[in-house]
Amino acid sequence: MRVICTTFCLLMLIMFANAQADYNVSLISKDLLPYASAVIRNKDVTIEVKDADNTIYHIKTALTVLNKNGDDIARVVIWHNRSNIIRYVKGALYNEFGQLTSKFAEKDFADVNAASDMSLFEDSRVKHYTPSTGSYPYTIEYECELRSKQSLNFDDWQPNEAVGLAVEKSSFTFICKPEFNIRYKEINLPPSVITGTTKDGLKTYTWQVTNLKAIKEEPYSPNRDKYLSTVKIAPENFKYEGISGTFTNWKELGKWTYDKLLANRQALPPETVQQVNTITNGIADPKLKAKKIYEYMQNKTRYISVQIGIGGYQPFLASEVDRLNYGDCKALVNYTQALLKAANIQSWYCVVDAGSRKVSLLNDFASMSQGNHVILCLPFKNDTTFLECTSQKIPFGFLSDFTDDRTVLACTPEGGKLMHTPKYTAQINSQVRKAGFTVDTNGMLTGDVTTIFKGTQYDNHDDLLDEPVNEQIKILQKRYNAINNLDIGKCNYKQEKNELPAATETIKLSARDFATTENGKLYFSINPLNRTIKTVRDVRNRSNPVYINSGYTDEDEITYTLPTGYHSDLSPLNVSVEKPFGTFKATMVLNGDKLIFKRTLQVIDGTYSKDSYHDLVEFYQTVVDADNYNVTLVKN
Amino acid sequence: MIKPLFNLLILTLFSTIASAQNFAFGDYSQKEMDMKRYDADTSAHAVVLNEYGTSTINEVADERIKIIYEYHVKIKILDAKAFDKGTVEIPFYTESDDSYENVSEIKGITTYKDDDGIIQRAELNPSKVITVKENKYWSSLKFALPNLRSGAIIEYTYQHTTPFWDKFHAWHFQDDIPKITSMYEVHIPAFWSYNVLLRGSLRLTKNTSKLETGCFSRRGATCDCSHIVYGMENIPAFVEEDYMTSPKNFLSAIYFNLFEYTNLNTGSKILVTKDWKDIDYNLKHADYFGSQLRRKDLLKQYITPVITGQATELAKAKAIYAYIQKNIKWNGLNSRGSDDGIRKALDKHTGNVADVNLALVTALNSAGINTEAVLLSTRTNGLINKLYPVENEFNYVIARTTINGTSYLLDATDPLLSFGLLPLKCLNDQGRVMSLDKPSYWIDLVAEHRKKSTSSLDLTLQNDGKIRGTITTYSIGYQAYEKRKAIKKFNTIDEYVENLDEQMGKIKILKSEVQNLDSLDLPLSEKYEIEINAFDNLNHTRLAFNPFIFDRLIANPFKLNERNYPVDWGMPSDNRVILTMHLPENYVVENFPQGVAISLPNTGGKFITTFNVEDNGFTFSNMTQFSKSIYIPEEYPYLKEFYNKIISAEKAEIIFKKKS
Repeated sequence: MRVICTTFCLLMLIMFANAQADYNVSLISKDLLPYASAVIRNKDVTIEVKDADNTIYHIKTALTVLNKNGDDIARVVIWHNRSNIIRYVKGALYNEFGQLTSKFAEKDFADVNAASDMSLFEDSRVKHYTPSTGSYPYTIEYECELRSKQSLNFDDWQPNEAVGLAVEKSSFTFICKPEFNIRYKEINLPPSVITGTTKDGLKTYTWQVTNLKAIKEEPYSPNRDKYLSTVKIAPENFKYEGISGTFTNWKELGKWTYDKLLANRQALPPETVQQVNTITNGIADPKLKAKKIYEYMQNKTRYISVQIGIGGYQPFLASEVDRLNYGDCKALVNYTQALLKAANIQSWYCVVDAGSRKVSLLNDFASMSQGNHVILCLPFKNDTTFLECTSQKIPFGFLSDFTDDRTVLACTPEGGKLMHTPKYTAQINSQVRKAGFTVDTNGMLTGDVTTIFKGTQYDNHDDLLDEPVNEQIKILQKRYNAINNLDIGKCNYKQEKNELPAATETIKLSARDFATTENGKLYFSINPLNRTIKTVRDVRNRSNPVYINSGYTDEDEITYTLPTGYHSDLSPLNVSVEKPFGTFKATMVLNGDKLIFKRTLQVIDGTYSKDSYHDLVEFYQTVVDADNYNVTLVKN
Repeated sequence: MIKPLFNLLILTLFSTIASAQNFAFGDYSQKEMDMKRYDADTSAHAVVLNEYGTSTINEVADERIKIIYEYHVKIKILDAKAFDKGTVEIPFYTESDDSYENVSEIKGITTYKDDDGIIQRAELNPSKVITVKENKYWSSLKFALPNLRSGAIIEYTYQHTTPFWDKFHAWHFQDDIPKITSMYEVHIPAFWSYNVLLRGSLRLTKNTSKLETGCFSRRGATCDCSHIVYGMENIPAFVEEDYMTSPKNFLSAIYFNLFEYTNLNTGSKILVTKDWKDIDYNLKHADYFGSQLRRKDLLKQYITPVITGQATELAKAKAIYAYIQKNIKWNGLNSRGSDDGIRKALDKHTGNVADVNLALVTALNSAGINTEAVLLSTRTNGLINKLYPVENEFNYVIARTTINGTSYLLDATDPLLSFGLLPLKCLNDQGRVMSLDKPSYWIDLVAEHRKKSTSSLDLTLQNDGKIRGTITTYSIGYQAYEKRKAIKKFNTIDEYVENLDEQMGKIKILKSEVQNLDSLDLPLSEKYEIEINAFDNLNHTRLAFNPFIFDRLIANPFKLNERNYPVDWGMPSDNRVILTMHLPENYVVENFPQGVAISLPNTGGKFITTFNVEDNGFTFSNMTQFSKSIYIPEEYPYLKEFYNKIISAEKAEIIFKKKS
């Protein structure tokens, strides 16, 4: 069987080599055109591990750009650095009829520094080329080869990675020596690998897809990894920056990380150890001790990222952070760990995929490139506390939505351990507001508002706190946008920096012309403080389930004191909806000159069937309608 | 009474010293360390305690004559929000091998209080200074000062040398944080002359000059230098405002432009810039400009088929404009000069602004249509100074063609711009018209078109509570341009309409017809048959209806009580809506809001609404008009109030009542 297959593959290769590809645009199937700005005609990606420190990427692709929106997809972008070297890149452009119009080569590429803005230094560069022709459609064909001096990380294969990109045919081949073992994971793909052997005795693994339609952006979609076809590959034995290792699971990968990258980097000068002893002196509870040390670290350091070579995975020495008072996430975690160690407190270095979207490390597939950030875990008995070490002000034990509710890898001396960070539920992430407003006969509004923010909503106001009052007022005027002529007399913030922190905002405000008086009538918006203005876009023929990344609860209660002598002759606001993904209630009660408005909106995180999307659209429409409700009162 | 005298004394003392000296590196006072906030601006996160720079022209180690610039600054970090001031990036030009710029002599130090409140110093380790090659032209040097904490003082200094005599360092007195003292000292040998330009509203508190005799010599040639000191004190931070043009136009800074220099080998004077005549001459003969404009014959082969069959000069011009729009894709770079020539740009289908628009100028001229090039500075690039000419203040070039006595300003870099419509970025004060056979002159760059739309709605309230009908919208001028851009983000018109429908919530689009999407000279027309899910049913005695169905204004875009800088929208706008509503037999209009007519002073704008009750329905019309492009700070309170009134008026609802 194997022999036959190989021969077949070889034959295929030869056929490809001889065949004159026809890029005539009219050959693209009509089925692939909806929502497509560009179509991959044929793409072959080959990764060949020649040696543990020598991996060759070979990419050949032909892409037809249907209109201007496809130009971005057609841009050729090649990342490279000291250990990932471009061997060659060349290509050509074809017109609508598949006729060659021009060629390009490496000299036509611009080469720029690609470090992120956050980074002081990163060894990462980009070569890029933007095709241009006089007309659409056109086809760009190019081929490039890169050499990577390691075998720890391999690029994922994701054939339809961009919105608006359809695929006629795309294939992926992984080639290695018989003794080089890999694990692979197919996501959103039927099991489809074809394995074989080349005539030189090398192992091959091949995947192929054909006729994938373009993806349309759908709001409330799960993370892309949940619905895009992907193949991930991890080695068993590898080399990275001269260090070798072996792993087949998270335990072994965590062990290697600990032994080769983390161990013995935590020595501190005696003065600092002394300092740790001084600040924790007299405290018995290890958690309180840890808190003191954490706050000491926060006051002393700042986040600056410098990534070179192995530095992408290995922290600076703790002694260096101690001297410079800055470092990236790895360095600051390692430093905090060293400080804690000086007080005999154990802690674990944890790799996480950070970001407001929750992404977990894959339970059943260990590989090095799944995380992008590092946090610290304090494994106390009956109490696991996680620390974010790159912020100067985040409360001890609070992770915010940057790293909450996801699987992380703790790298311990005993090996890797998958753990889950705490989840901030819809109940925890609350915003509870009470306001007392008076509206006078000229439409002038005066009153006080007190709001308590908790959980992930605590963060929303963290930045404001460091601002001087006049800046705070400017920001508040934008935040409470729906009140025109908003004048903030006083504002005050109080923070409780606990593991579940709370911030209380107190505002004294006034606004002229809040209500419109005309013809013996009085109009005003019932909900000027917490207003949903935009509805959720409806999606016909939705393909993804509904995913709500993070839940929250907002409660508002406004008591209006109105000028006397008015009544309402329209039905009062009274709305209540309950759905699996959330509840909404808004009511108004008019009693003499008192109008009480109450509103509760709770959105519950989770994944819901795609059919419930329509309900979600209606749900938000109800919210928007109620939030836009205008009180119309008539003089008696 | 002692105090003022004392201050005066210090000032005099200070100015004598400052006129010749940098402040000592590493010095700090207990008062500076103890400072908790900056009293003159308590909102500051950091304040520059002292900033000093010097520029000289001198022979350096490799025997070349370069401009040597030294920069030295000391900043008090008041809180963590200003920690970014401790991460420094110094760009320098490194394109060609023989004339590159250089940054050296970097020193940095942080003075801070440690955990025990004891003052400590931490010096910048030179090995932590990193050089990065950003791209083909630029490199930068980056470093982070160590041991930064709230209350720390950071200080650093560096030297930058450049062989480009026309790149004499400007000095920016004003920044996003306030400064207590900022001083720039220049020594310019008489062999070089620069025009000096001070921008911004702040005044120099120090401006002294004296002659230094024989300060420069090279191979026997000796000259005197002007030694000039520019200083400012207590400089407020610059606060940006919404809807303003480039902050550059308002920031206080001093600029130097090379005007002439002496060739040290021959002793002859080389005039770099004298007046427009010289710039005209230079441009007319430059490869990147005049040479391209002379390639009329070369473009004939491209242009002839394009204009064949076009009867009028205007039709020909439009055909050529469309041809260039389509055939040279703008590569995103602004420039006043062509890169590889217009021929190459046409063949490669790509080029910078000058490649595109100089090709347009030449193509039009080759078709016998009288066209000139217009140099300008884009809005982000700032205003051109009018005191003396500086060629490199221009960063953009467009075409100006005159047909039957009418002039059209053309920019072919965006295929969606209609003939004669300039993009907002080009609407910046004035441009300089350049032609091969006439002296150059200024023209105003103002919007020739408005941002205009008119909509008419014909709606009927159905018995099921839904409102059905048609809406027809014509978008004209800049509004059409913006709409076209929005539509073209989608692959097809159908996909655009689908998206629009999905976004409109209660409004469903039953049928659509979009016309003139690609006929840029015609108004863009959209006609939709819609259904509004207005009321759940008609079992109510009264129904409230707000006639501002689309784009109802809820929040005032202006929040500040007063402004320092003009509101600059670039173009006037005009928006009209006419709504006709038919009601079912059993309903009447019970109550409708008063018509509103408000206007801005000096005919700056109008907002008018009218209601007319008719048999079984009503008509409503609304016009919002801003007739100016720019509103000066004095007009700002009116503009803000105008918006307030609009918001109030748009709250008004019409009440329908069931006939009893």
